[in-house]
Amino acid sequence: MSRTFVDIAGKRLALSNLEKDLYHPYGFTKARIQEYYQGIAPFMLPHLKDRAVTFTRYPDGVGQEPFFEKRCPAYRPLWVRTADVVHGGEPLTFCLINDLETLLWAGNLAALELHVPLARAGSPKTPDAMVFDLDPGEGAGLAEAAEVALILRDLLSGMGLLSLVKTSGRKGLHVLVPLNNLSTTFEDTKTFSKAVAAIMEKHYPDLVTAKMAKQERRAKIFINWSQNDASKTMISVYSLRGREKPYVSFPLVWSEVEGHLEQGRTESLQVTANEAVRRAERTGDLFQDVLVKEQRLPHL
Amino acid sequence: MAVQGIWSGTISFSLVAIPVRLVTAVETGRVAFHLLHTKDHSRLSRTMFCPEEGVQVPPEEIIKGYEIGPEQYVLVTDEELESLSPERSRTIEILEFIDLKEVDPIYYDHPYYLVPAKGGEKAYQLLVEVMSRTNKAGLAKFVLAEREYLVAVISREGALELVTLHYQEAILPHQDLVSGKATIFPEEETQMVLTINKMISDFDPTKYANERRTRIMDLVMQKAKEQGVVEAPALPEEEGAVPPDLVAALEESMSKVKEHR
Repeated sequence: MSRTFVDIAGKRLALSNLEKDLYHPYGFTKARIQEYYQGIAPFMLPHLKDRAVTFTRYPDGVGQEPFFEKRCPAYRPLWVRTADVVHGGEPLTFCLINDLETLLWAGNLAALELHVPLARAGSPKTPDAMVFDLDPGEGAGLAEAAEVALILRDLLSGMGLLSLVKTSGRKGLHVLVPLNNLSTTFEDTKTFSKAVAAIMEKHYPDLVTAKMAKQERRAKIFINWSQNDASKTMISVYSLRGREKPYVSFPLVWSEVEGHLEQGRTESLQVTANEAVRRAERTGDLFQDVLVKEQRLPHL
Repeated sequence: MAVQGIWSGTISFSLVAIPVRLVTAVETGRVAFHLLHTKDHSRLSRTMFCPEEGVQVPPEEIIKGYEIGPEQYVLVTDEELESLSPERSRTIEILEFIDLKEVDPIYYDHPYYLVPAKGGEKAYQLLVEVMSRTNKAGLAKFVLAEREYLVAVISREGALELVTLHYQEAILPHQDLVSGKATIFPEEETQMVLTINKMISDFDPTKYANERRTRIMDLVMQKAKEQGVVEAPALPEEEGAVPPDLVAALEESMSKVKEHR
């Protein structure tokens, strides 16, 4: 096993097997993954900060079964920060990725996917955002997801709510409504998002389902409102995905979604790691509002 | 957020007070399993059951009973127990400094780390340094989660460890178990010394791993790969009813959306 040592902020990190290609046959080595996280860190870290992260690790690359890791590995370096989180049973110690060195350490574990809850560890009952996970069923894809996302944006806007959109990096889109107040609870976001999903399904029955069952989803977009739960995690914005190509869950501007949908080329909404850093450096963090915009859900 | 502490307060003795946080120092590595229903893979929950009435008993109908004789109980409420708890305290009060070698490891219960809290870094370093140089450990009293513990505060490799100790009355005597009456011949003793000397080594805990955990996790990962996973059915949601106002407002917004499309 080859090792390279890097020193960041006085902390020593051993990076192993940098030449190993984790996206075979597309070709994206661990060195490239580290390069990606280093480049995207300034945009990504504020979103990861103080969130109990779950790793999906691909030690043998994206062609092999990954494994989930919730518990922060016991062999973590001493400087990795953690938070104890309780969901019903015993508390579990999660890693927090609050700095570049921890992000690179996660990359070194082949933790390609970083999944985070909607709430920060210090305030587990109040989500920072409400989310609509637009998940295309069999026979549907990004085009249908984009169509649903745009209707959703307008519907929410009519309720006085700003929403933002990102690719999931898989087949779907995530629409987020920033909250950033400590009075909106998961119970609120669940009630609200379920009502929204129901109204979407009622008015667009051929395009939308609010039901989890697989057979209900065929050729439709499943609006997964149940993600608005303290125990659920979502792929973090700017995280890589373990697919055949190094796609990233990347924020989009709404006009881009509209443009691509009109021109019938929604597939090119996907953003790869190579593009992601360049785009983020050009536009800044398009998800800034998810961190700072304060909104309250009306009529609750 | 920094490492979440279990407790925070101060170590104190004489005129010294050092702000610290207590964090856990061991993870047992026990593999946790959930119990599922074989038929539908629902997560099972535990309920309290009254065999007399054949019904499930809600928490407000449960009370503790101390069995003082056969089928005879003294009832004790949670409030009564709570009133006996020691007062919550914010200090680890060091009573004496002792030589750790005098402490039989049988007294060791559970280890924690003490980490310096804001403003305590320097005093903490000083205590670490001096306790290490003088080879002394602090013997202290400390209240955690409504129990008072006797603890040892130990300096080890630049950090303070806190180990809760069993009380003397909790330690069972071995005199009844081991009688010391055999006659030992000198050549037997020499032979044993030779055997032990041959096996002498430095203590290196990295040589030993929890193999059962590794084997269980290997089995789980292999089964996940070969047989896939099962999913628990979604539970009926218990969220609040949707306010009619919200539905009306959504309908209104939706009609505007449809106008413009």
